[in-house]
Amino acid sequence: MAEPLLELSRVTKSFGSTRALSDVSLRVQPGEVHVLAGGNGAGKSTLIRILSGAITDFEGELRVSGTPTRFRDPSGATRAGIATIHQELSLVPELSVTDNLFLGERRALLAPWRENQGSDRARELLAAVGLELDPARGVESLSLPERQLVEIARALRHAARVLVLDEPTSSLSEPETQALFLRIDELARQGKGIVFISHRMDEIFRIGSRVSVLRDGSLVHSGPPNELDRERLVELMVGRTLETAPAATATSGAGEPLLTLRRFGARTAERPPSFEDVSLTLTPGEIVGLAGLQGSGASELLLALFDGSALELEGEVSRQGARYDPEGPEHALASGVCYLAADRKASVLPELRISENATLSNLGFYSRFGFVARVRELEDTKAASRGLALVASGPEARTGSLSGGNQQKVALTRCFLAKPQVLLLDDPTRGIDVAAKTDVHAWIRKQCGTGSGVLVASTDLDELVGLCHRILVFFRGRVRAEVSGARASSARLLALCMGAEDDAA
Amino acid sequence: MKPARPWQSGALRALLPLLVVLVVGAVFHQNGAFFQWSTHRAMLREISVLGILAAGMTVVIVSGGIDLSVGSVLAVSAVLFSSASMQHAMGPVASVSVVLGAGAGLGLVSGTLVARFRIQPFIVTLAMMVFARGLAKLVSGGKKVTNYVTLPDGTGTTVELPAIFRSIDSKVLGDNVSVVTLVFAVALLFTWLVLRRLRAGRYLYAVGGSYEAARLSGVPVGRTLTFAYVLSGAFAALAGICQAAQETQGDPETGAGYELDAIAMVVLGGTSLSGGRGGVGYTLVGALTLGILQKVLSLNAFSTEARLMLTGTILIGAVLLQRPWRSREA
Repeated sequence: MAEPLLELSRVTKSFGSTRALSDVSLRVQPGEVHVLAGGNGAGKSTLIRILSGAITDFEGELRVSGTPTRFRDPSGATRAGIATIHQELSLVPELSVTDNLFLGERRALLAPWRENQGSDRARELLAAVGLELDPARGVESLSLPERQLVEIARALRHAARVLVLDEPTSSLSEPETQALFLRIDELARQGKGIVFISHRMDEIFRIGSRVSVLRDGSLVHSGPPNELDRERLVELMVGRTLETAPAATATSGAGEPLLTLRRFGARTAERPPSFEDVSLTLTPGEIVGLAGLQGSGASELLLALFDGSALELEGEVSRQGARYDPEGPEHALASGVCYLAADRKASVLPELRISENATLSNLGFYSRFGFVARVRELEDTKAASRGLALVASGPEARTGSLSGGNQQKVALTRCFLAKPQVLLLDDPTRGIDVAAKTDVHAWIRKQCGTGSGVLVASTDLDELVGLCHRILVFFRGRVRAEVSGARASSARLLALCMGAEDDAA
Repeated sequence: MKPARPWQSGALRALLPLLVVLVVGAVFHQNGAFFQWSTHRAMLREISVLGILAAGMTVVIVSGGIDLSVGSVLAVSAVLFSSASMQHAMGPVASVSVVLGAGAGLGLVSGTLVARFRIQPFIVTLAMMVFARGLAKLVSGGKKVTNYVTLPDGTGTTVELPAIFRSIDSKVLGDNVSVVTLVFAVALLFTWLVLRRLRAGRYLYAVGGSYEAARLSGVPVGRTLTFAYVLSGAFAALAGICQAAQETQGDPETGAGYELDAIAMVVLGGTSLSGGRGGVGYTLVGALTLGILQKVLSLNAFSTEARLMLTGTILIGAVLLQRPWRSREA
């Protein structure tokens, strides 16, 4: 067997009294795609930070190509040939592709600077990741998958032998993901070692040549993916068997519609419409899914219904029979419409306490003569977060200290305490672990039980199939098909999302 | 989460520079002068006007902005207050209300420009700083406004100094505390109430933490930002009233550069300029640190030049001292 490119032996790391990693040993072979799976708080991010040189004081040993190594800082990891591509890309949008590729090259600070120096070398590097574009283009003008590949090309420039990819597909559409996988396969064939972090089942089995599962800081499994199946993997990740979610029971169809859209559309100045001609009725107790690739109009519709202030709207929207103009968040919340953004940075405030986030959308209710009623605030936050199985030291904990899944639950608690009748949820389970996902799904169903209506967009088609009464499929800004939840399968939805004709209709 | 070691907690780190100046003062006490209450009473009186500005500044900084206009608004208010109560013989309640209203009004202009037109606070309040200085000179006719009143027939006479001037510039509680210090304390308490107990305070932290997240959560972002500048303007007016009383006149040139001292007090306390964090308690610590430092330097007879250079150096040192020592673990 070839010498491993990277080897961790008995790595342990504690923060204060909490042990983030204990006794983790794993190796990355050349040509291997090593998938790291694990729930939120399992220790994946700590491991990544050790590999990228962000954490330097840990117990245990790190060997690069057999040599015991200890990085002093992130640039030490880069020099040792280990490149980490974080979820948030580190390109400078204002600079060109070439300049980004050669950023940080040790050049004298005051050396004359020619625009797009070295664009031939840049072209070569881009070709290596299968990207054909003009390296003089600004990074701003690139799509997200293109940016990702530029970032990988930059890693290759540093002669990286190990690439750590932290959830690279979380904001990619299905075809974009497949394209990225082809690149990853290619890099592995060239003998690079790939560490791949993902939350998506199908990806783990598609791309991995080895799967390691972390739980509570310990390595609980490591082996080739064919030793596992989906159920077993979930069990390993959560440490218990998950009961499969019951299919949504059809309680819909009764009562006056909560929200009616007639030929609704939105455009921003000088751009093709983000979506058009959408007609839809949402009744109490109904969960309607919006499926579609990135940019298909599904998430755009949700935002436009909450805050149309920056958009040119067409068509008609009514709330319980009365005309409804989405003029902005304050107005929407007052009309009983609440929105959860896909980006957590737009849905929670990390510097505020949990309780402060929870009541933010309905603070008028939680105050008297301008004073915040703190007792009631804490009580209601406690009760609401219990319903979501939110794990925290208490409602007064700083939200930023929580894991991603728990922060998402804080955002949902805020939506709950806003007491909306219409919930607009954009990718409510993005980047959270399986157990948290189940909690969120149960919570969404419960909201419907109380007579609310939910519009939910998601890139996870399995999620929509399990959750929704019916699903609208968006393709290039229009509703391509409507599928009832009982008849939907994720394979069929995916085909529709990718533009196939709805032959079963 | 609790810090592993108590001395690494944020609140204690904020106190470190203050403890250092106290220790230095206790060592170089100049024959016990540092241990006299009168020394500290004078120190408190000296930081009061700046401290009132700093209280308002805290609110603006928490909202993610900055207010460079407070020194000029203070001058407008000092001039207006002197003119109203001495030249136009207005009663104390009327003149104080007019001045507070004027300060809040100038803040309303800044706040509207920041909130409605989304111009950067630095630029808006820089413009307001210049504009208000001009306004102060316009109102005063370019001269100091004193209790020498020109009568319609061309002759002049000196009127008695209004009672409110004397009462603001006096000491109470058995001569132990200056009235301006009490005003400062009330300003701090009021700011604390706004930031920590009122709905407006919650909104201020939210907007300062992330404008977009706050907006999407239904926070009235525009009104919240406007409110911060109105409050800062009103506090600058309050400081102007105190300043006029202490100088027994309205000087259109007064308060130049005060905005920087106020910002220094806020930052020295440990409030981050990026917004969404900090509080008025920290500002009090910053104000005390700066005040005691000045007192120690003057007790030990440092020249003005040396004092300025030392203050600058110590400001940086204090900010470094407050940082987590092992920032990589933070």
